[in-house]
Amino acid sequence: MAINAETLDQLQGEPGWLRNVRRKALESYERLPAPSKTDEEWRRTDVSGLDPNKFSKLEHLDGQKLILPEALPKGVILMPLRQAAQDHPDLVEPRLFSLVHADRDRFAALHAALFTGGTFLYVPDGVVVEQPIIGQHFSHEAGTSVLPHTLIVAGRGARFDYLDEYIAENEDEAGYRTGSAEIFVGEGAQVGYVAVQKWGRNTWHLADQRAELQKDSTLRLFNVTLGGRFSKSRVEASLAGEGANAELKAIYLASGQQFFDFHTLQDHRVGNTRSDLLFKGALQDVARTVYAGLIRIEKHAARSDAYQANRNLVLSDKAKATSIPMLEIDNNDVRCTHGATVGPVDPEHLFYLRSRGIPEPTAKRMLIQGFFGDVLDRIPFEHARKLVEAELEARIG
Amino acid sequence: MADFEIKDLRASVEGRQILKGVSLAINKGEVHAVMGPNGSGKSTLSHTLMGHPGYTVDGGEVRFKGQNVLELEPDERARLGMFLALQYPVVVPGISMANFLRTALNAHRGYDGKDKSKMVTPKEFRSLLKDELEVLHMDDSFLSRYINDGFSGGEKKRAEILQMAVLKPEIAILDETDSGLDIDSIKFVAEEVNRMRGPNLGVLIITHYTRVLEFIKPDFVHVLVDGKFVLSGGPEVADRLEKTGYSEWGKEEAAQPQEVA
Repeated sequence: MAINAETLDQLQGEPGWLRNVRRKALESYERLPAPSKTDEEWRRTDVSGLDPNKFSKLEHLDGQKLILPEALPKGVILMPLRQAAQDHPDLVEPRLFSLVHADRDRFAALHAALFTGGTFLYVPDGVVVEQPIIGQHFSHEAGTSVLPHTLIVAGRGARFDYLDEYIAENEDEAGYRTGSAEIFVGEGAQVGYVAVQKWGRNTWHLADQRAELQKDSTLRLFNVTLGGRFSKSRVEASLAGEGANAELKAIYLASGQQFFDFHTLQDHRVGNTRSDLLFKGALQDVARTVYAGLIRIEKHAARSDAYQANRNLVLSDKAKATSIPMLEIDNNDVRCTHGATVGPVDPEHLFYLRSRGIPEPTAKRMLIQGFFGDVLDRIPFEHARKLVEAELEARIG
Repeated sequence: MADFEIKDLRASVEGRQILKGVSLAINKGEVHAVMGPNGSGKSTLSHTLMGHPGYTVDGGEVRFKGQNVLELEPDERARLGMFLALQYPVVVPGISMANFLRTALNAHRGYDGKDKSKMVTPKEFRSLLKDELEVLHMDDSFLSRYINDGFSGGEKKRAEILQMAVLKPEIAILDETDSGLDIDSIKFVAEEVNRMRGPNLGVLIITHYTRVLEFIKPDFVHVLVDGKFVLSGGPEVADRLEKTGYSEWGKEEAAQPQEVA
């Protein structure tokens, strides 16, 4: 069944303003062309095999399970996004799809038109939530679309950690999946955000995670990409206030025929801002990954620090990692480094471990885990760190 | 038949022959020193014995416990009872010394993740390390650091000897363990090696300089020049080298570090 206005009928009981947002996004979807190979962003990323019409059944409409701290402080709002659209239009309407633009491309438009589950989290000024808040998004069926959208608003001086976990009940199911997030980090706020993507290995996954940081705020964002036959993630931070600090980290493990694409942006719009990006991935079998990251320092953004590194451990001759770091700097008074590495396990490391009696498979496993060690240490909170370590342990064997 | 026997070993690196027929018999309980000037093939000998993939064996054999170890993988050689203390221990980020040592010890005990009775327990592991750390003047914090990461030259060498003490090999090859060490570190290392000396351990010390042999007294000394042994004998060979260096073989290199007055 083709995706059209009738597809929206699956989404009942929403306020009029959201119906309009969806209708407009659907129009964008119908109007926008499929990405072309001549477009730099899609040059190495082949979506010609993706026909969203095959996945017009929307699954899991309010589909997340929220694991809440025992008691949420007063004023904190945490609820399914569609319900928040009804209950708190004043907070949701001005922000929804204002960072992740619905008309950016065909897939962003489709996500905005049909987003299903997802969370709205609002933490008022000065409020601290000690325990992490966890949103789990499940897919149950093959052949469907599961399109969660997370909207997070951190008030001035708010402090909290949030985890989005995308879980397939069946590893082999095919489907269309997203998992986007818009994060508004208010002045002086400190936010930890972790997204762990474990969709099925035959799914198409396209997601946008974008944050905007106000003065003196800190965001520690951690992306973990494990699932999907095809996964494209854009991770973007816009540093909009002086003293803002964005840590953008990711790990990915691509095996079998998986293809992962990462697009990152560190957008320094004002001076005295800092961003630190580290994306680390391991590739096995015939997996392929593409990383393209841009540091943009705008004209008035003097005294900004921006760091970007992408490191790839290629464990098979047939796996291929491509890394494209880019700089766009319009101010000379900045500190900026970027770098990329693509390489196999260091044979000296392997020999050293084996010379102590450790069998080759075990030694390789240790080296893969070791490769991720420094970035794992940067996962902003304990619960997520344990989860990711266990996930890696299980997948690396 | 000696416990560990190298017979006519020939080996090359990147197509260039370095070892041109080396034979050496080591019994457990003995300490042998192999001395030689730069480029004589000392490192090739140690790496070839341990099976480093960058070295090609062109001929000969090495018999240990009824096997030709040249046919074994490096980890099989280690589990058979061989140990190589590297001249330049490698830094491996992301893996803690404790994890490394525990995994190596488990591998030696045949623990493959299944039979838990073979696994070294945390308590056993701690008590095993306690004495050794003390002798080597190392503190516990070593164990939580990544392998050799940020270690000074002396710390790296001590960490090698610590691994040896934990893994209890029967044949230990110390490749220039003394090079680049201050005198205190040499003493700690020597004390630990001397502690381990005994009927269950044969030691092969590879060194350019005689100094370490003042602290670890060898039973036999062999001089390696251009890939062959040119002289073998007792400890007196080291004394001879101490005076004349390698000049009698046409190499103008001293056999003791050039001290700055």
